[in-house]
Amino acid sequence: MRDENASHRLKRRLLKLAHAAGLFAAMTIICMPGLWIVLSSLRPTVEIMAKPPAWIPQELSLDAYVAMFSGVGKGGIPVLEYFRNSLIISVTSTVVAIAVGMAGGYAFARYRFRGKSGLFLGLMLTRTVPGIALSLPLFFVYARLGIIDTHFGLIMAYVALNVPFTIWLIDGFFRQVPKDLAEAAQIDGCTRWQAFWQVEFPLAGPGIASAGIFAFLTSWNEFALASQLTRSVNSKTLPVGLLDYTAEFTIDWRGMCALAVVMIIPALTLTFIVQKHLVSGLTSGAVKG
Amino acid sequence: MSATAREEILEQRSIRLPRLPAPVLLLMPAIVVLAAVVIVPLCLSLYSSFTPFRLTKPETFFVFIGLRNYANLLADWDFWAAFGRTVLLLTVALNLEMLLGLGLALMVEKATRGQRILRTLLMFPMMFSPILVGFQFKFMFNDNIGLVNNALQALGITGTAIPWLIEGHLAFIAILVAEIWSATAVFAILILAGLLAMPKEPLEAARVDGCTPWQTFRYVTWPFIMPFAYIAMTIRSLDVARAYDIVKIMTDGGPAKRTELLWTLISRTAYSDAKMGLANAMAYVSILLSILFTVYFFRKLAAARTQIGAEW
Amino acid sequence: MNRLLSGVSAGVLLIAVGSSAALAADLPGKFEGVTIDAKLIGGQQYEALYTRIGEWEKLTGAKVNVLSKKNHFELDKEIKSDIASGSVTWCVGSNHSSFAPQYPGIYTDLSKLLPKEEIDAFVQANIKASTLDGKLVMLPRAQFDVSALYYQKSLYQDEAKKKAYKEKYGEDLTPPDTWDEVAKQAEFFANPPDFYGTQYAGKEEAINGRFYEMLVAEGGEYLDKDGKPAFNSEAGVRALDWFVNLYKAKAVPAGTTNYLWDDLGQGFASGTVALNLDWPGWASFFNDPKSSKVAGNVGVKVQPKGSSGTRTGWSGHHGFSVTENCANKEAAASLVWWLTNEDSQKLEAANGPLPTRTAVWEWDIEQAKADPYKTEVLQAFQEAAQHAFPVPQTAEWIEISNAVYPELQAAILGDKTSKQALDDAAAKATGILQEAGKL
Repeated sequence: MRDENASHRLKRRLLKLAHAAGLFAAMTIICMPGLWIVLSSLRPTVEIMAKPPAWIPQELSLDAYVAMFSGVGKGGIPVLEYFRNSLIISVTSTVVAIAVGMAGGYAFARYRFRGKSGLFLGLMLTRTVPGIALSLPLFFVYARLGIIDTHFGLIMAYVALNVPFTIWLIDGFFRQVPKDLAEAAQIDGCTRWQAFWQVEFPLAGPGIASAGIFAFLTSWNEFALASQLTRSVNSKTLPVGLLDYTAEFTIDWRGMCALAVVMIIPALTLTFIVQKHLVSGLTSGAVKG
Repeated sequence: MSATAREEILEQRSIRLPRLPAPVLLLMPAIVVLAAVVIVPLCLSLYSSFTPFRLTKPETFFVFIGLRNYANLLADWDFWAAFGRTVLLLTVALNLEMLLGLGLALMVEKATRGQRILRTLLMFPMMFSPILVGFQFKFMFNDNIGLVNNALQALGITGTAIPWLIEGHLAFIAILVAEIWSATAVFAILILAGLLAMPKEPLEAARVDGCTPWQTFRYVTWPFIMPFAYIAMTIRSLDVARAYDIVKIMTDGGPAKRTELLWTLISRTAYSDAKMGLANAMAYVSILLSILFTVYFFRKLAAARTQIGAEW
Repeated sequence: MNRLLSGVSAGVLLIAVGSSAALAADLPGKFEGVTIDAKLIGGQQYEALYTRIGEWEKLTGAKVNVLSKKNHFELDKEIKSDIASGSVTWCVGSNHSSFAPQYPGIYTDLSKLLPKEEIDAFVQANIKASTLDGKLVMLPRAQFDVSALYYQKSLYQDEAKKKAYKEKYGEDLTPPDTWDEVAKQAEFFANPPDFYGTQYAGKEEAINGRFYEMLVAEGGEYLDKDGKPAFNSEAGVRALDWFVNLYKAKAVPAGTTNYLWDDLGQGFASGTVALNLDWPGWASFFNDPKSSKVAGNVGVKVQPKGSSGTRTGWSGHHGFSVTENCANKEAAASLVWWLTNEDSQKLEAANGPLPTRTAVWEWDIEQAKADPYKTEVLQAFQEAAQHAFPVPQTAEWIEISNAVYPELQAAILGDKTSKQALDDAAAKATGILQEAGKL
């Protein structure tokens, strides 16, 4: 009996160890290429491209960052403008996509109406259009409307890009929230609107948070449409700015890595903050139990 | 009878909303945006697929040639090779990403400490713009000075320079690795969100009933997170632009068309060759492919939902 | 330039131009209240020049509105999109000699807008490459590209290597002067996977361009007099075999068919490649200890000769063009002139790129006197420039290039024989030209 207990405990401990090791290995693989980029931004090119490789950095410096901010024409790029554009466009389009997605997701999750599955499928299928079939006609339309190279144009495009996705995701999460909860709240005297905000919305929190992260990251990193619809510092975003480090025959890999780090940090920070809401969604989910 | 009853319930529920039925009102913004940004341009490009439209000769936009572009495509071996390769890449990549994502999500969910850090790290690859991923993996898989070969040679695993981006299968694998690295997070995070939203009682009940961990997973957890997995699946299969940027920079379909995918072929035809009409015809054929994938997962999703008793 | 004079004559100029070309002394002129919309190539290497735009604005009273700044290929896409949607509403655009033939008719003839002596001050080969159907569609800036041969000097000073080479081939080991020698030495130096004899760009327009210059060096033609593809000749097979044999002998990195310019530059800088035909843009990168392992050990030589006894250099240059739609072509031409005048070219050339004005070449070489490496570089490239020629000036060039390069790759990788690959490529190229109504 005691033996069995001991072996059971051993097994559990081993399992735990394996779990930790597995987790560590997975995280290493995930982070390695990223850390390599961070490292590349700090090392002189001769070390990055060395053969035999220099595994341990010999020389670290912030030269690439200093150069980046030192102004156009002096080895720099208009990074502040790009950053501003990226931020305005990504945040606005995310907020709008989430709002539109919440409305749509709620409609699909809570109402029955004719042609529902058809409409749902139709919305999703708008995403099957390859960007290339879209980019030139979109350019035609935008050129006629005069919204090439504006924040508005890109925000519209990104909202459209993200809406099917947010609707779907949020719909999935609203479905997980038991209907009787909201109904109970209404019986308790809440309006439908209040019931939504006070009961269903908090419970669907994790879904909305993850839809938000996805939408934000998609807009933050999108390249193909941005390269077609933007032109100058008025609206060029960071991913398009990456190409400032390429010339016809040369590429400044270190500079590109430095800009990549500048791009990644805000996204990482935001993700880290939003994580909390993923968790709080869970805890409030436990409340009902 | 039941329809009127349902309508009555609806009426009661949406008593404060104006005349238009609530769902129509709620869906209006989405429909308007999508119509403006997707449907209208789409009609334009559908039309242009019936013309010999060349970017540098705008007048060709008004020449109608019927189905000639499509007829040319049907007979074009290169196009179908790219088509097949794309299907293969999508299938392999999506399944692997799904499995890896599931594993990651389960591991992260089990972790008792550092959840926030873990989850943020999990999403780390999503912070990378696809073109950056392309450059990064191109450098890593460079046969001469790339990280991968350097590491393999340093560890004594190989004495030769492995031509990662050249040899057909290896290049496919290299692209697959880049694609999986950048997209597994999407699966992992969605499945994790599903796990987090999952009620705890069924799990408790299963434990009390003496289910093994595998049984618990198979019969309790999996049916619950399946819809999320399918959502992720569909979203990924639609998100072709992401993979395009990666492949474009890593190999651009080369060498000798060994890694040519629909997306690289289409965009080279469209802009570099400036044959937009033909490219749009290709795009429409490839839309068929996406629609097939989407409808397939969509039905899977609906089935999964019925299984866990959600109404449809 | 006499600014006082130009100020005085501004009023006269405004009336005088339009029918006849301006006088050199009148440049840059006065254009009070004029706004010029411009699309410029972006990126670090190109943007130092644009700081001079402010000065032009001050001198002329005009304003420049930069609509777009993009990478070479993105700009090409954008200009094509503009043509397609009929929105070429801007005045000045960055251009490139390899891309220019694709934009038929949107750019105006600059020789009618600028004084002849200013145009004569450019290297005539560059002016010729900028002239399409008798129209001077762009003025070259100091971003001229032709390739020369970079090599590691130490390899040629190694006594053991010299001896071994002499024994093997019965010749002295000196930096190669013919492509045949390059191939021999590359095989001799190669020691995969640690060291390679040479390398070449293996995809897209790059491999096609390299094949093109090798073809001409072997005495062949890409398109014949009637514009028909003629590269599947014996010379063509010889040219392609040069690439194929190096690949087979493992004298080039196995990944070379996926290399573009950045991979080549980084490869040579990593010190693992002996000989490297490459562009002038890398010269300072290769000799900078911060970016290159071979710094201090780099030799530069004019490009080798082919079996026909000639040296050939596929080349290109950046420049600026004025659109036909431009409302104020004189002002636009003045801006284009300003960005390519002597002071502008000196500013760009000082950072390494090659000039396109004769006087600036001389100035550049004078400036480099104290720097033996830079002198060597400039001399090599100046000589290389004498053998330079642009791509065939047909609008279908890029499209042909896209059809041909996968075939070249197939031959290099051994999927097809050289002859077979070239015949297939020629058939495709012919198809493209027929479809375009050129044959």
